[in-house]
Amino acid sequence: MVLSSASPLVFDPIAAQALPLEWLPPDWQFVVRNWDYLAGGLGVTIVLTATSILLGFLAGFPMGAIEVYGSGPLKRLVSTVGVVLRAIPIVVILVFMFFVAPIPFPSGEFGMWLPGIGSFDIGLSAFAAATVGLGLRSAAYQAQIFRGALQSVSGGQMEAARSVGMSKLQAIRHVIMPQALRRSIPGFQNEFTIVLKDTSVAFAIGLAELLKRSYDLFVESTTAVLEVILFISILYFIMTFVTNRTLDYLGEYYAIPGGEG
Amino acid sequence: MSERTDGRGDVSEPSSTAEDGRSAGDPLLRVENLQKSYGDETVLRGIDFDLDRRDVEVIIGPSGSGKSTMLRCVNRLTEFQGGTISLDGESVMAMNENELRRRVGMVFQDINLFAHLTALENVTLGLRKVLDMSKGDAEDKAMSQLERVGLAPQAASYPAELSGGQKQRVGIARALAMDPELLLFDEPTSALDPELVGEVLEVMRDLADGGMTMLVVTHEMGFARRAASSLMFLDEGKIVERGPPEQLFDSPERDRTREFLARLTTISEEA
Repeated sequence: MVLSSASPLVFDPIAAQALPLEWLPPDWQFVVRNWDYLAGGLGVTIVLTATSILLGFLAGFPMGAIEVYGSGPLKRLVSTVGVVLRAIPIVVILVFMFFVAPIPFPSGEFGMWLPGIGSFDIGLSAFAAATVGLGLRSAAYQAQIFRGALQSVSGGQMEAARSVGMSKLQAIRHVIMPQALRRSIPGFQNEFTIVLKDTSVAFAIGLAELLKRSYDLFVESTTAVLEVILFISILYFIMTFVTNRTLDYLGEYYAIPGGEG
Repeated sequence: MSERTDGRGDVSEPSSTAEDGRSAGDPLLRVENLQKSYGDETVLRGIDFDLDRRDVEVIIGPSGSGKSTMLRCVNRLTEFQGGTISLDGESVMAMNENELRRRVGMVFQDINLFAHLTALENVTLGLRKVLDMSKGDAEDKAMSQLERVGLAPQAASYPAELSGGQKQRVGIARALAMDPELLLFDEPTSALDPELVGEVLEVMRDLADGGMTMLVVTHEMGFARRAASSLMFLDEGKIVERGPPEQLFDSPERDRTREFLARLTTISEEA
């Protein structure tokens, strides 16, 4: 009874070992006993989502701004890179980053710890390749989100800022960007969800994230495929739900009183 | 008010003959042979006029006559192809555009308050980022400007919480806070509901009475009669006629001016 009310995210593996599991069907017992292993994958998925989204934001926001305010070769370069990244399947990007790209990714393992998950190891080279691949692809999509948001702020806002003597950069930073960021939350929510789920594609380059580890499990116990897949689907759902609600809250918190914006 | 009436008398003579007749130093604003086109379409075909300190010039003309474009050339929100515009004797093209715009304030038809900032923050932003004032100093100054337009109680309100007239008064306070030498008004009441026009015009009249130099595109003829030192009728990118408002209203030299003013007056009386 205790078990059924506990959320997987705060599941205590040590307590799980001690609990009698006989009342569960055998394949579910298998899932619970291997929680430790899956939790490590969950940790990798969470960290990879965070690093990819961050890289995507750091590269994507300036890319979007260049597409709106830039000109000449830089603007052409940014929009071409964006088109190319959006045109290539994510598996291909990841395989390219890991096996082909001449980037000296660090090798070895990196130990991490997350609350509710405990400590787990991350394979550095696959993780770095996945971050760069997912991050750059996300940058290309985030650039479009920000481009749309920047363009949706009326030209009059820029003119008003410039006509009190602000430079173009000051106007973007203090007037356009704060409004555009608010408007980009719905699109960003979407992108966040997509990156979160697409971390599973790092399976293709052997990164031990959630899907890779669940694959390891059901290869070992082939009758438990459905249970393992259902279980990690629930985990993906919870992560998606929590991030979406968090961004909803952020959107409400920063909403401009009176409804404009 | 009496001071302004005196000022008007001085301007009436030389304004009809443009350049001559000025005594002390350069005019605040001098526009010479201003030309502007968008591609093949010529918008301004050689505009010449001077504006002295403390003068209020009201510009009227049919839509597409180049009124707004001319205003926007003055603070270089739009680039022009020919002629010169000088502020206090210095060509605006030779100035840093941010410095020019600090000295020449602008009030817009669509107001353009910064939507994510309160009324007070709308006014302090320029003070802080352009004039590098401290937060406290900027807020003190902004509050005094909001008081000037009668909106101190609404300092903490966001634009979406204000009426159109209140928004435009904040827009004026925002421009005033930078201590501009010249204020440009681009149809400041055209986007407002009729019952809100009065409060904005009142603020503008106070500014005119206080000696602010203003270049105002408006079709509010009541304002033109009361506050303008000079009225300019623009059509097809040229000044058709310019002079003291009474002269243009009562005995215009050109038929085109008479027709246009007659139509304007009819419209405003109907409204």
